[in-house]
Amino acid sequence: MTSTVPQAVPAPKPTVTGGAPLLEVDDLSVEFRTDYGVVKAVNGISYTLAAGETLAILGESGCGKSVSAQTIMGILDSPPGFVTHGEIRFRGEDLLKMSAKQQRDIRGEEISIVFQDALSSLNPVFTVGAQIGEMFRRHRGASRKDAKASAIELMDKVRIPSAKERVNDYPHQFSGGMRQRVMIAMAIALDPAVLIADEPTTALDVTVQAQIMDLLAELQRETGMGLILITHDLGVVGEIADRIAVMYAGRIVETGATDAVFTAPAMPYTEGLMASIARVDQKGQRLNPIVGAPPNLAMLPPGCEFAPRCPRATDLCVAERPPLREIVPGRRSACHYAEEVLGA
Amino acid sequence: MPDADLSAAAVAHAPLREDALLRVEGLVKHFPLTQGIVFKKTVGQVRAVDGVSFTLASGETLGLVGESGCGKSTVSKLLMALEKPTAGRVFYKGQDVTDLKGKDLRRLRRNIQIIFQDPYSSLNPRMTVGDIVSEPWDIHADVVAPKDRNRRTRELLERVGLNPDFVNRYPHQFSGGQRQRIGIARALALQPEIIICDEPVSALDVSVQAQVVNLLEELQDEFGLAYIFIAHDLSVVRHISDRVAVMYLGAVVEVGTEDDIYEKTAHPYTQALLSAVPVLDPRARQLKQRIMLTGDVPSPANPPSGCRFRTRCWKAQDICVTEPPELVERGQGHPVACHFAESVQIVTSTEATPVD
Repeated sequence: MTSTVPQAVPAPKPTVTGGAPLLEVDDLSVEFRTDYGVVKAVNGISYTLAAGETLAILGESGCGKSVSAQTIMGILDSPPGFVTHGEIRFRGEDLLKMSAKQQRDIRGEEISIVFQDALSSLNPVFTVGAQIGEMFRRHRGASRKDAKASAIELMDKVRIPSAKERVNDYPHQFSGGMRQRVMIAMAIALDPAVLIADEPTTALDVTVQAQIMDLLAELQRETGMGLILITHDLGVVGEIADRIAVMYAGRIVETGATDAVFTAPAMPYTEGLMASIARVDQKGQRLNPIVGAPPNLAMLPPGCEFAPRCPRATDLCVAERPPLREIVPGRRSACHYAEEVLGA
Repeated sequence: MPDADLSAAAVAHAPLREDALLRVEGLVKHFPLTQGIVFKKTVGQVRAVDGVSFTLASGETLGLVGESGCGKSTVSKLLMALEKPTAGRVFYKGQDVTDLKGKDLRRLRRNIQIIFQDPYSSLNPRMTVGDIVSEPWDIHADVVAPKDRNRRTRELLERVGLNPDFVNRYPHQFSGGQRQRIGIARALALQPEIIICDEPVSALDVSVQAQVVNLLEELQDEFGLAYIFIAHDLSVVRHISDRVAVMYLGAVVEVGTEDDIYEKTAHPYTQALLSAVPVLDPRARQLKQRIMLTGDVPSPANPPSGCRFRTRCWKAQDICVTEPPELVERGQGHPVACHFAESVQIVTSTEATPVD
């Protein structure tokens, strides 16, 4: 029987180490050239990630959060996707200017990714052991036997029970949570410096979600890797992220320390999101939804992208797009009235 | 409108009211596991639903929560008579409707409608919105006279917050939230008394979820609808439900009012489930108890003996292996299926901050 005694401890947060940022995304723009027009998926986003830090990128579907992750990983479908502007610096070097071979060496070795849908991300015709071991064979030139031994070790590390027997199983023989653990094992196989988790728990039940988030936090404490968590779930962000970047329509509209943003948002979109979700710690009252729907990325309005849905919008918002600017130290917001929103 | 005499407490503590709108007794659904291609032989049973009982009063919302595979969607199919139960009975307004066929079944279905989870696959892409919403009247022709159909369709669209001029558009021209509104309009077309909402907002974006939840609440007030709200999102369920039933591996393990379940949580599984829900408020998060469940849900083809939750339960003792706990009141104020039930407050409620 495997079960733990409940403990009343809040999840500890890894401490943020100082120094030069591990990963810097600088004014990145990505567009998709489709038959229906140019879709501007990412419009000049910038963020940095330090070692040991967890940065959450929060946004709804279509806001560009996954596209920015794919660009960092160098797995953007091109065409139709094109990086039109910007740099992605890993330890000071621009990934976008590297040769395909250099990029391949960094991928998996230094930066790796966990996708949302573990079932479709794993190859159904290979055993999980072979898929985890492939990392060692490709990057380290390990023999089949060594690769398998390393795979078992990793499966133990991500707490897949009886790893020795299960290493020969195929993905369909695992539950959703266990498959996600296999994905994580592959991603952390070579001790990457940066792990991108793209909606790692969206397809999972809450109890399994909690297990996976705990596992990620623990691995991060052990290895000191930087974690970029891409999600639309505000609750998950609150539980594990140090800093948060809120995206809307391809742009970062607010950044800051997680608790500070959640306690007092400085952008009406963040404010609206917080007000619109049902909370488990609050009794039923009518929710305050954000009216309308996100804009079409092929036809962005000239002013603030959120203005059509914003209760505070004025003529200025419709006419002029607010830049992302610092409001208080460590907090940035792309709203003309950020100070008012923050003070409200 | 909720009946005046049905105070929240009275509903919770009278689980088998005779006058309930819908009463389900000992519902069981086993799916056979077969082997062989030509000569299929049954080699086992998947016990998807294994003895579920509950009642639904008119105008109330019963939340049904549990992890994937716990049987909550099978329950909804059984209620819609889309699946035939292996055992157990369903009563609608006191009348046994379990074995209804043909015309009688159609008449029953008029009163129980369903909204599906996936607004993309539950609307026929080749039908216009007007055709989708008015299709129920092809079978139930007496509800709306043919000459009034167009007008009524437009009214329904308007009621769910869509532009009535969209009647001739196709589903792909709408966003996820708008499609879910179309599904709601279709469910309303026959003026049902009960709507089963099977994960109605889990496929929607966060900012759109609230719009649909609010719409469902408005419609409930306006038409006196009773909802069975199936979801795995405990926050949304708390928000919308009057009573909540928690399912694990085909059985209800705890049932009670929203307060009972969320503030006086008595079953270890419910406690674990609640503690796993991420909490937004940094202050409330500090106060939250953390219970980490290990392992996965056991296979419903081979559930554990005794209490089904015992393999993952930190309270399990010998009695849990031998004796399945009944879903009865155990001094916690509401029925709970655990030998060692004990009310704990997992999530500390904070005052809802008024939003202006």
